[in-house]
Amino acid sequence: MSKEKTAEKRNSGVPLLTAAMIWLAVFFTLYLNYNLSLPFLAVIVIAILTLEKKGVIESAYTACIKGRKIFLLAMLVGAILLPLALSARPYALHIGVLVCIYAILALGLNFQMGSADMVNFAPAAFFGIGAYTTGILTMNLGISPWFGVIIAAVVTCILGGLVGAPTLRTKGYYLSLVTMALQLIFSLVIVNIKAVGGPNGMAGLPGFAIGSFSLHQAHDFFGIRLPYQANYLYLALLLLAVLLFVAYRVNLSSKGLALNNIGQDEVVARCLGININKEKLFAFCIGGAFCGIAGAFYGHYMSFVGPDDYDFSKSLMIICMVILGGMDNPLGVTVGAFLLIGANEKLRDFADYQMLIYGLILMTALWLRPQGLIPKRVRNYELLFHKKVVLGPNKEKKEAVLPASEE
Amino acid sequence: MELLGNGSFLIEQLMNAIMLGCIYTLVAVGFSLFFGVLDVVVFCSGDIAVFGTFSLMGAYMIFETAGLTAMLPTPVWMMLLMGVAAILCAALGVFTYLSSIRPFEKSSSLMPLLSTIALGVVIRETIGLFFPLGRNPQRFPRLIPSGSFGGHALLSYRNVTIICVTFLVLLAVFFFLRKSKMGNAMQAMAQNKRLAAIAGINIRSVAITTFVLGGLLLSVAGFLIGAYYGTVRFDNGSLYGIKGFSAAVVGGLSNVYGAIIGGMLLAFIEVFVSILPGGAAYASAVAFIAVVIFMVAKPEGILGEKTVEKV
Repeated sequence: MSKEKTAEKRNSGVPLLTAAMIWLAVFFTLYLNYNLSLPFLAVIVIAILTLEKKGVIESAYTACIKGRKIFLLAMLVGAILLPLALSARPYALHIGVLVCIYAILALGLNFQMGSADMVNFAPAAFFGIGAYTTGILTMNLGISPWFGVIIAAVVTCILGGLVGAPTLRTKGYYLSLVTMALQLIFSLVIVNIKAVGGPNGMAGLPGFAIGSFSLHQAHDFFGIRLPYQANYLYLALLLLAVLLFVAYRVNLSSKGLALNNIGQDEVVARCLGININKEKLFAFCIGGAFCGIAGAFYGHYMSFVGPDDYDFSKSLMIICMVILGGMDNPLGVTVGAFLLIGANEKLRDFADYQMLIYGLILMTALWLRPQGLIPKRVRNYELLFHKKVVLGPNKEKKEAVLPASEE
Repeated sequence: MELLGNGSFLIEQLMNAIMLGCIYTLVAVGFSLFFGVLDVVVFCSGDIAVFGTFSLMGAYMIFETAGLTAMLPTPVWMMLLMGVAAILCAALGVFTYLSSIRPFEKSSSLMPLLSTIALGVVIRETIGLFFPLGRNPQRFPRLIPSGSFGGHALLSYRNVTIICVTFLVLLAVFFFLRKSKMGNAMQAMAQNKRLAAIAGINIRSVAITTFVLGGLLLSVAGFLIGAYYGTVRFDNGSLYGIKGFSAAVVGGLSNVYGAIIGGMLLAFIEVFVSILPGGAAYASAVAFIAVVIFMVAKPEGILGEKTVEKV
């Protein structure tokens, strides 16, 4: 036992270093001005690519899973420190919140597009439905925003199922067309509904509040004046952490494996006894719920819901994040969201070129690295759950058995 | 002749639907041509068409400043104008193939879809950035003289030209596919790529010819878009792309004849919803709802063959 402990201590360096690197990268990207942060983003991308090639990311991954207590603790400390460090720059905090929201959206789409290879072109529609649902409920019925988020998640989950059910008959291009049509129908219809403000949208959504602690006001925190965006960044990071955990658990569960199988070959999946319809519906429901949560959060954060934020180009952006980050890898998808939103917000000054740059990024990503920056990993159940794998290599088996025999 | 009178609202709308259908049909035929031969959905087809419209406008502006329109007789510079647009569109078609289809021949079938969507964004934004005042709606030059045959508003030169051009172009495409050697090679490739290669067909050149043909077709569609609407926006392409794709799918994706039926059907739904009271705002939405319902009920399309997946 003592040997194991020393080994663990020796291994704690890598997780700490990884966490520190992650938070430093996040901090500098958000903190720097665009003329510095854009080259910095490019450096991050190149660094990820080279490290991935050399296998450093893979070993850091393994080390972080082994020393996950330390890693998670370090991540937690970083998450607490980040808003404090950025407190002088409300706009940087705003970008941080946006990154979290889009990362949640990308995680939602990843269930369908990454895991099961079903390209859904309507994530922005679910995003919008979530925002509008909570907007209508809180503005007209006076419901608390917290309940608004929960109801939005339930509504988008059910809608995901309703959209998913008829599309079960279609796949490939046809599924793409149906979801594209749904996205356009959403955009075209929402503009014409007077009750939700039509093209002007709804303004004045209430912000979140815990008791009398309103998140929409600046607060003092150990002598540091935190702008209201910092409160939201804490909440967004918490939400992202929870949903990232959910996404990882789903990805590791039998559901995740079944979705992968469906994505590779439906006929084989059916032959293996996977209930294809059930699994696909599950992907649509959970993906819809993720997008709905993100939408409701976004609506309350901006205290505004308008049709422009949920159109087809936003769907393309989310798809872009999933492809760029890495299909079927929750972590990769989050990185994709971070890179694209970071680049997007820093490119505000060149708004005319924004979409062109998006198109070019997507094309280059598809040419050079269709599997994404951080591609999916082989699921290492032995390392994750400390379970003996029956068909594991002999060497590892012995190691797993030895400590027990010593006792 | 009373029915064809100027006041007959319904007939007027019927004419509108036919003309809108012509535009959708041409884009849809482009889609099914690409899909039939290469099994890819070229999603930037609508953007290539709008690129055609803008290259016509740009060429017209250059011609006018150079004094060519005053110097040459009208048919000659019209032909030159069309030629310029056609060449540019065909070149863009070939570029599409080389940049976003060929690199993904061996990967998943969704990759070309995504890469052509990305290329569509690039084309659209390039037009918006580099065309003079490209982000504003552009007035299409009056290439077809106003006036009409026999004084009927319905038989205006514009309407007759649009219908005749569509008809002739479609006829030419069908003759090309049926009678020419290259057309037959395309059909062979559509049926079985490997067998076509074994039979000595140069697959690369057939693919490039397909994209040249598609580019020409889409340049004509671009001309029709400009002539029908009178004003064009740089980002109209994605809408025509989705409408054309919908039309092609409704008709049966790999069937060129189905594209005509699909295009007309979509246009008729759209126009007849728009003449209902309060329906104008919902016309496109209803058309898309119809597409979704249709896709769910009959995914293989009107003239498509039902494929059963075998192991």
